[in-house]
Parts: sequence; C-alpha cells; structure tokens
Amino acid sequence: MRLPESQVAVLNAASATDEQTIAQLAEETDLKPETVTGAVFDLRDDGLVSVTETVEEDIELTDEGVEYADDGLPEVRLYRAALDVDDGESVPMGQVIGASSLGGPQVDIALSNFARKGYGRIDSGELAPDADADPDSDEEAAALAALVAGDEVTADVLDQLESRNLVVRHERTIRAVTLTDEGVTALMEGVEAAETVDRLTPEMLTSGEWEDVEFTEYNVEADAPGVRGGKKHILRQTADRVKDVLVGMGFAEMEGPHADADFWINDCLFMPQDHPARTHWDRFALDVPPMEDIPEDLIDRVRSAHLNGVGDDGDGYHSPWSEDFARAVALRGHTTSLSMRYLSGHEVGELEPPQRYFSVEKVYRNDTLDPTHLLEFYQIEGWVMAEDLSVRDLMGTFEEFYSHFGITDIQFKPHYNPYTEPSFELFGRHPETGELIEIGNSGMFREEVLSPLGVECDVMAWGLALERLLMLMYGFDDIRDVHGTMCDLDLLRETEVLK
Amino acid sequence: MPVVDVQPDELRRLTGHEDKSDEEFKDDLFALGLEFEGVTDDGAFQLEFGPDRLDRLSVEGVARSLRYQYGDARGVAVPKTNDSDWTIAVDESVPEERPYVTGAVVRGVDLDEAALDSLIQLQEKLHATMGRKRAKGAIGIHDLTMLKGEVLSEDASGNTITYTGIEPDGDTFVALDSDEELTPAEVLERHETGRKYADLVGEYERFPAIYDEIGLFSFPPVINGRRTEVSTDSRELFVELTGTDQWTIDRMCNIICYALAARGATIEDIKVQYEGGTVVKPDFEVETKRVSHDRIETVLGVELELDEVIDLFERSGLDADAELGDETVYEVSIPPYRVDVLHPLDLVDDVGRAYGFNELEPRYPDVGTVGQRHERSRLEDAARTSLVGLGFEDLLNFHMISEEENYERMDVEPGTATLGGGDPVSITEPYSEDYTMLRSWVLPSLTMVLENNTHRAYPQDLAEIGHVAHRDDDENTRVSEARHVAAVLARHDATYEDAKGRLAALCRDFDVELETPPTDHPSFISGRTAAVVIDGEEVGVVGELHPKVIVEHDLELPVAAFEFDLSALA
Repeated sequence: MRLPESQVAVLNAASATDEQTIAQLAEETDLKPETVTGAVFDLRDDGLVSVTETVEEDIELTDEGVEYADDGLPEVRLYRAALDVDDGESVPMGQVIGASSLGGPQVDIALSNFARKGYGRIDSGELAPDADADPDSDEEAAALAALVAGDEVTADVLDQLESRNLVVRHERTIRAVTLTDEGVTALMEGVEAAETVDRLTPEMLTSGEWEDVEFTEYNVEADAPGVRGGKKHILRQTADRVKDVLVGMGFAEMEGPHADADFWINDCLFMPQDHPARTHWDRFALDVPPMEDIPEDLIDRVRSAHLNGVGDDGDGYHSPWSEDFARAVALRGHTTSLSMRYLSGHEVGELEPPQRYFSVEKVYRNDTLDPTHLLEFYQIEGWVMAEDLSVRDLMGTFEEFYSHFGITDIQFKPHYNPYTEPSFELFGRHPETGELIEIGNSGMFREEVLSPLGVECDVMAWGLALERLLMLMYGFDDIRDVHGTMCDLDLLRETEVLK
Repeated sequence: MPVVDVQPDELRRLTGHEDKSDEEFKDDLFALGLEFEGVTDDGAFQLEFGPDRLDRLSVEGVARSLRYQYGDARGVAVPKTNDSDWTIAVDESVPEERPYVTGAVVRGVDLDEAALDSLIQLQEKLHATMGRKRAKGAIGIHDLTMLKGEVLSEDASGNTITYTGIEPDGDTFVALDSDEELTPAEVLERHETGRKYADLVGEYERFPAIYDEIGLFSFPPVINGRRTEVSTDSRELFVELTGTDQWTIDRMCNIICYALAARGATIEDIKVQYEGGTVVKPDFEVETKRVSHDRIETVLGVELELDEVIDLFERSGLDADAELGDETVYEVSIPPYRVDVLHPLDLVDDVGRAYGFNELEPRYPDVGTVGQRHERSRLEDAARTSLVGLGFEDLLNFHMISEEENYERMDVEPGTATLGGGDPVSITEPYSEDYTMLRSWVLPSLTMVLENNTHRAYPQDLAEIGHVAHRDDDENTRVSEARHVAAVLARHDATYEDAKGRLAALCRDFDVELETPPTDHPSFISGRTAAVVIDGEEVGVVGELHPKVIVEHDLELPVAAFEFDLSALA
C-alpha cells in the first residue's frame, strides 16, 4: 500500500493497544499537529485507525480567584477583622471594614457572602460575628486552594466559584488514536510513502495517480514571474468613457473626412477668410487640387452670408471672399467641419429637430509642440438641435456632461467666437485640486452659420480637447509620453486602466 | 486673443472710481469677459479678451465699458465734431491695392506719459487685429502743428494734404527713429521697421505716400516721417488711416477718436476727396438694428419686463426704442466704435452680459433623442478589443509623418501598387521636417515606436488601428482615407507563424475567410511574405520584416508583422 508520507508516519507511530493523542503523535512523528490531524482523519476514512474523541474541561482561576487564593476570601477577612475588633459582640461596620483593609467592590462582596455563609449577622450598620463559625473549613476557600494545587474539587463548589467569577471553564476535544485491525494488517503487509510531486500532470489526472501523490508545498508568498497582457491605449479608454457618457445622453456619433475643403472647415462656420486662424501658418494646407463637388447653392448662400450678412438687419464681414480659397483642401482644424456637413443635410439627409450629435476625433493645428500641445489631437465635439433653445439649456447640458468626470461648479465666461453667439468659455472645479480650470468652448451657432445650411431652429455646440480631459482627470504631465512615436512603452504598460 | 495693458490708476481716474481696489477691478473685468493674465513690470494689468470688442484695446475703452457696467454711463454717446478746414485729396496715382483713406483732426489733447503710452498701445493693437498686421488698415498719427496744408485753389477754403502713389525711389524723407534721408525703397531695406513691413508693399508698382505743402511726410502702411512725430508736447493731432477697406479703417479711426475724446480732446471733421466725390470723416453715424422681445426671452430662457430690457440695453452702451404691437420689437442704436455687431443676435448677447449669464439657472433640455455609436467606430473598437485579447499593446500614433519615415526607411517607393506605396498627401508648408505628409500606412509608425523603445522589455507586441491616407484625384477631397489594422511582434524568436497565427485568430473573431498566398513586399523577407486575402479580396500583407528595415531602425531582433484594411472585417 502506498500512502502519503505523513499518513505513513502516523500509521507507524500509532499503536493497536495504547491510545495516543494527536499531541503525542505529533511529537513522535515530528510533524505539525495540524498535519497529523489531517493524516489521522484520512486514515480513519480509510478504516486504518480509529479515533475516540473526549471532551476535557480545563479549569482556570480568574485574576480575582488568584487574588483570593493568595489573600483569603473577602468574607473570611471581614469575619476575622470583626473578631479582632471586639470578641463576640456586635461592632460598627465602618470600624470593621477599616480594620479588614478591604476596599472597593470587595466590601460589597464580603458583606453579601458574610451573612450567606453564616459568619454572623448584619443589623443596622452593626456587624455581629458568630463566634462558632469556622473560617478554616470554608468550602470555597478550600476549593480555591485545591485548584491552585491542581487537585480535583466537587462540581457543586465549582459551580459556586464559577458563579462568583472566580474560575472559568474551557472545553477541548482530545482525539485518541488506535490502530484498527485493518491498520495492523496494512502495516504487516507493508506501507510505503507515496512520492511527492512538483506539478500536477495530465497523466496523473487520467491515470488516477493523483490519489497517491503528495504535492510539495510552494512558497505562496514569493513573487511570480511578470505577466504582461495587452491593453487599450489610455487615450482610447478616455475616448470610450466620453462616448459612453454622450451616447447615454442621447448623442449619435458623426463620421467624416480628415482632409476637407476649407469651405466645410471654415467658411460654413462664418470664419472670415482673413481671420488670423486661417492664415497659412495656422492651417495645414494640402498639396492637392481644389475640391470640385460642393453644392453650388450652398456656396452662394455662404458667400452671401460672408459678404452681406443674414436677415434684414444683417451685415457681412468687410473682408474679401474667394471661392478658390473655399475650395482649397486642408487638414481639418476642428471637427466642426463634420457638424457643418451633418447640419447641411449632405451626410445623413435633412435633419428635423430634435437632434443630438457628437464626435471624438482627430484635428490638426499648426502649433508649437510642447508638453501640452500636439500638432494633432482629439477634439470632443457635440451639438444639440431643437426649437427655441436657450442659454440655460446649454448650461444644463454641460453641467450634466462634466458631472460624469467629477467636474462641478461650472462657470460660464462670456466669450467671442466668429461662429457662435452667445459664446462661453467653460470653467469648472478640478475634482482633486479644487482649482478653477478651463474645460471647453461653447455657444449657440449664429444665424450666419445656420441659415445658409438651411437650418431653421436653434443649435448649441461645444468643443474640448480630449487630451486636456485626460491630463486634467488622470494627471499626465507630458502628452508626448503617450501619444505618438516618442511614446514610452513602460508608461503605457504600467498606466492604470480607467474605471 | 488680444491682450491689453491697463494701469489700474488710470482706470480709477478714467472711471471716477478712485476707491476701487485692484481685486474689485479684476472681478468687474472678468464679468465683462476681460481675463486678468498678470501684471507688467511697471504694474499694469495684462487683460486678455476675445477679439470682438476691439474698442476695449485701450485703458480709455476699458474704462468706458466699466462705466456702463457700473451704471455711471447709459446709452449711446457720440462726441461732438466741429468742422475743420482740412482735406485729404486722393490722387489718381494712388496704388490700386490700397485705395482708401480716412482721418480726423483732434485738438486740445493733454498727452502725459500715460496717455501717450495708451495711444501708442491702441495704435499697435488695432494694427495687429482689425488692421491684419497693417495689411487691411494702418494708422498714422501726426503733430498737426508740423503740417502745412496746401491751398489748392483760390475758392477752396482750408488746407489740403494729398494721398498719392510714387515711384519706389521717387522721393526721400527722414523716417521715425532715423537720421537719414531715404527713399521709400531704401526704407524697406535699411530701416528696421521698413524691413518688418516690406512684404506689405513689396509687390506694389507705386508706393503709398502722403504729402503736405512741405513734402513727403508719411509712407503708409510702413512708417511716418520724423517731422510730424507726436510727443507729450503735442496738443493738436492729425490722424490718417489707409487701407484696403473703407469700413475697416473708418471703424479703426472711430476707436482712436473715442479714446482721445475720453481724455477731453475735441474731434474735428475732415473731408476726403475721392475721384468720385467728397465724403466727410470720421464717420460717427449711429446704426440701428431691430430685435424682438420674444427672441431675447427665448435665447436667455427667462421672462423680462420691457423696462428691464431697455435698462439692460442702456447699460450696454446702446439705446433702445420699443415698438409695441403683436410682437414687441426694439429698435436698437449702436455706437460707431462697435465693430462686432453683425446681426441682431449680437445685441441679445449684450443684454445677456448686462443681465449676467451666470445669474441664469441651468436646466437640462427637455428634448428626447436616441444616442448611438457610428458603425465605423464600433467596428474599430471590436477589432481593437480582439487585438488586446491577443496580447497586443494598443498604440496611438500621429497621422502626420515624414516621407523618409513613411517610404525610405521602410524601403518602399512612393507611387507603387504595394501596401504603403500610395502617392503622398503632402502638407504645403510643413511646420517641421518630421511632419510633411499624412502616413500612407501604419507599420512605419509602429517600427518607429520599436526603435524608440529598445531599452524596454521584450517581447514587444504592438498593434494600432489608425488613419491612413494617400493621394487620389478621383476622390472629392483628392485624398483617399482609410483605417488600417497593423501589428508587430518583436521578440528573439519571432517568425512568420507568430504573425499569421494572430492574424488568423483575429479573422476568426470576425467570421471572415483568410487566405495567405505568397507575395513580395519590399519591407518584408522574400519567401516569407504573404498577401492578406480576406473573403477573396487582397487587403494587406503579412510576413517577417526584412533585416535591412530592422537594422535601419536599430533593432537587434526579428520582427513579424501584418497590416490590412479594417473594412475587410466589416
């Protein structure tokens, strides 16, 4: 028969005639008591040993019990003091207590047991000790002395001591082990220790060998070799968060070209062609022929808005407007070009209010590269189209959006954009630092934007750099560490995921 | 955004609020949309604001706005003008590129240092903004007493100066900050200011020039002559502006005149004699626009009383007359220094600012719409999730790249049919030599990341789903845009199988059929390269990167890779 090593040791140590406790077996086999207990149960289940369980009671003196065993019970000390003060006559209680040197709760304990045990009477503040009482034969005192000496005491007295909180009783189970006949037979036939194994193998599982092996113990606290999985880019995770929030608020996602005519990028937005942001230094013009296919009627309406304004009282810009410039293709400086395409009805058909749309996509700005500015970055763009929108609706929408990123206390600083009026720079309270920080630009699209597009209701819009949200919320110092070919793989690998 | 430097003491004096603290001013200015950015060395506030209210580019303009905000001033105010006897005659030889001129005579100015500094700042800031760096409008301010007007005819009363065009070397004068007699052409070469603005007139056949009886005294838009230089002793000024648009220079002139009038100066009209007729300047005409009570309430989302609206208009420096009817309409008068009112809605914004936008209670719009992701972004997301599941680190690289990185270092020729070989979409005026075109494929970016991370632990399994583009004149935008799925496996034992196995797993996730017939690609080892054919269509390439590409990127271990068009997984 092959058994695990610990069971073999226990089987060899056990006797068919003499009961041995777990503690004894542990000492003999040099195994831990819990290992022996485990082995004993396995052996019992196999019928090789029998186990008898007895409950033993340990009696332990409390601190109070130990004190009384040394100094005597309080009632006995009171009796002896009373006798010393005046032989056989009643004496004032205070005088006796003083003489007994009892203090605190012991006084009450002494008085209550004094009468119960017949040491005398207490009457009107006088103690009358019974001269015949015999403190030397006090059962409780004798029992305390016996317990200190390790002797047995009767159950009645023990109950009495327990009720006085002078002793506590503990129960414990003692397991005594003897070999069964089968155990003896097995030993006579020979029992070998099964091998210990390092790894559980498929062969062990299919052959059943696992039943006879013992697994070596690991140091489960030791470090394991590093494991690396792939992970979504932190900026993609941030974009996902934003998209989740916006879809939840009823926004549908837009899609469109990165390279587009200036017409869609700027002219539809009522950006004058001589606006500083449209000079060659700020935009990425592409070395390609101009866009041919732009709806002619839309071009006419946009040109007219630039030159003459919109409405009876409208004025245009006092700037030249060139169709050639409008048709030139460049990288979009904002995803508002998508909003213009959607609002014009040329992407998904004419839109009837209400509508909500968004995008989280790349835009290109000819700016100086530094830790917080990239030539290309992600812009969060959103707009709401409805009848009779007010500034209050715009404010409520932003409060809702930013609250999902822990940004509260939103403030609206009146601002100027060529394409919105009223316009607001948005400021909010940083969730960690409490600073007031700029968190976006917003406004209601101007008539000069909407009217040429054929939109007859109100549209409010806002924009924000995704990288800015990432840096604000998750504390990156240099955006180039994560975005672009200069990225640090270790930083990406170790960055905490967004929850 | 424009920044204006404003001395708080000047602000106290001009607003009449001597007791206002710096902090109170900062709060009041923020409410106007002027953000405190810091202080200059000599203690002036640096205030930043949106480029709409260019009438606030001086301490006088900022003080005027504050006085309206405090309720010290109400409604439209127009400075009284006297007739003067000065005329600007526009000669037929004036350069056709810069035909317009305007101006004013200003008397009784008291120019202390602070006032002169403010005037110079206003002039510079107007040049930078409305003047489009002097291209659209340029301002010249002269000491009137140094000018001698011509009497051109017996019956024409008064003094005339002439705006004309001359040959680049047609005359000489002494420019500001100079001691030399120079021709205009020499100024452009030898004078610091001349060199700075030389491009503005470089293409002109004739240069703009202004003469009085004594001779040439101004070379707009470049520089004035020394003779008429303004100092703190100047008491009478001649203001002239030239430009490409009459309205623009008229408004610039108005902003200057309002600033000087705020310091007690008197403005006098001048005449401008164009070939087609004579006009009187400065143009202080008060324009009106109409806006309905209903529109104001709708935009602000609050109900307002008629008196309240008129009060808010007046506190914005506007005047309003209500016309009662089925629909109450205000006729609103707009002062001539305003350059930002193009539409009645701009007046509603003024009402909102005077009311205080932050006084409005936000409300979530009671409008139901259905949110959804775009199909393309859902597909991209699903593919990214699969790649991450296969153990790839998801990367995000720039769409802009250099031709050297996109083609040469990958050993790919532009204009070839191979993956990545599409014609470049080039940036006309690149900011940096590292970003001259849109990438035509993603693997160059991933290889660059490997190159920049050789000090980091291997294996480096990297993937990116990203934007690529190449020139295609059949597209409306002339640019063909797509999203590519690309991956590299950089490890000491990387082989073709490592790449293909993962590519196959990705294709299984999307239930598409993958075939990998042998092919050649210059970036990959011949005989270990296959075309990625998904559902019968060739969409990419998979293989082991060629050692010359690996060594070119300073890598010291094999790299297996694939790249294909994301739309194949749709």
